[in-house]
Amino acid sequence: MKYYISEINKDGTIAVDDTILVKGVLCSAGSHIMDGFEPLFSAEAVERLEKAGYKLSGKTNVGEFGLDLMGEFSYYGAVSEGGKLAGAAAALVKKGEAKAALNVDLNGSPRRAAALGGVDFIKPTYGTVSRYGVIPAACSGEQIGVTAASAEAAAEVLGVIAGHDDKDGTSLPQASYEYKTDEGVKGKKIAVISELFDAASDEVKKTVEAYAEGLKAEGAEVKTISLEEAKAAQLAWTVLSAAESCNNFSRYDGVKFGYRTPDYKNIDDLYVNTRTEGLNFLTKATVLYGSNVLSKGRYFDCYDKALRIRRLVSEKMAEIFKEFDAVLVPACGEASYEEYDIKEAFEKTYKEALFTAIPSITGIPAMATGGVQLMAAAFGESTLLSVAAAMERRG
Amino acid sequence: MTREELKGLEQLNEFAFKADEAEKMLEIFGNMKGEEAVMDSFDLSNTDIMVHVMPMTNIFREDVRQQPFAREDLLKGAPEHTDDSWQVPRLVK
Repeated sequence: MKYYISEINKDGTIAVDDTILVKGVLCSAGSHIMDGFEPLFSAEAVERLEKAGYKLSGKTNVGEFGLDLMGEFSYYGAVSEGGKLAGAAAALVKKGEAKAALNVDLNGSPRRAAALGGVDFIKPTYGTVSRYGVIPAACSGEQIGVTAASAEAAAEVLGVIAGHDDKDGTSLPQASYEYKTDEGVKGKKIAVISELFDAASDEVKKTVEAYAEGLKAEGAEVKTISLEEAKAAQLAWTVLSAAESCNNFSRYDGVKFGYRTPDYKNIDDLYVNTRTEGLNFLTKATVLYGSNVLSKGRYFDCYDKALRIRRLVSEKMAEIFKEFDAVLVPACGEASYEEYDIKEAFEKTYKEALFTAIPSITGIPAMATGGVQLMAAAFGESTLLSVAAAMERRG
Repeated sequence: MTREELKGLEQLNEFAFKADEAEKMLEIFGNMKGEEAVMDSFDLSNTDIMVHVMPMTNIFREDVRQQPFAREDLLKGAPEHTDDSWQVPRLVK
């Protein structure tokens, strides 16, 4: 069981996903194909933290390119706690060995890990935190977020890393952001999306119900609504993220950096054997599906439709947030996960995307807290953090 | 998706699947094809595509001359290299 792939400072307090570059520190993205890759520069988020006086503790284990549930298919092995799968960063924060961690949220993996690990994770609005120095997979939706033991700690670290960065073409223009945790819950209107609630296990449903009761006790109004586009969002994000990952992962060929197969006689062998040996089945399945949905016969039938679904879901969520301050849903379908065969991973992660795809495909902020997931309108991080903080004070 | 079509995708993406992996991939494609039908339940004829979730604008700036990474630093991470180049098998026979 390996929490850190590389340790940086014994007295460091901030852990960093191994999909985020730190200059001079080996970076694996949880993959064999990155063997020996030593970045020549640090991610902007890392630079900002170091400039603000935070010390990094190390690079945390992640599933290959962050595609799996919560790190179970890292080349370096899965992290488990009490026989159940756990996220490395969430486990370190829970144990108090790190104050906070930076994680890349591509398919909800850190949200899931935080919800099951008993800590918080906030994925901010797309474009508020620079992705410069993130190993890219699904660029149009992936975002650096913060795992922390409390909403206050998450807000503090997020406030340091958020803000415009010239080096990221998708970075929004605002120079900096201030996040609040004291807006309270009283008077807030919270929606529960029935399609996500109904799809969760009984144990997860109980957690969501208990959280909703807590919100009501704090003076919020909680109402169940329907979002018929929920399943379409799940499918569309799977299509888009696979297509983008397919393009991004084409760079791993054993030529300029990383792993190279010892078994080749010519350039074709070198490419095929390097990629076949260096990438795991989940990554290869993602690449093949992405390649397929981008192909001539399937582009308009699948990829193009997924881009239209993205707009449909974005508009629908904007409508919901005209009436509600936040959405409360499960962060995942099960209350725990055990190790499983990698051949089941594509379908398993697809199934779980029902709970996490909406913020990924629309760019809205989401937060795993108290074992549940909250979502808000774009730039509504303070609402999420305030609700989480109030509920944490309640205990 | 036929085995032949899958073979084409494998070649395009520089992979060589074992028989059991190929079989699983065909199963995944079959399942996903069924799932994709959910997108047909919405009338998308008046819905435009959305590539970027946030408004994007082109930002122009003057070119700035900067020191690039040193060649030896770039080569350090290469699996095989000569003094000044990445090394690959002969391309022209």
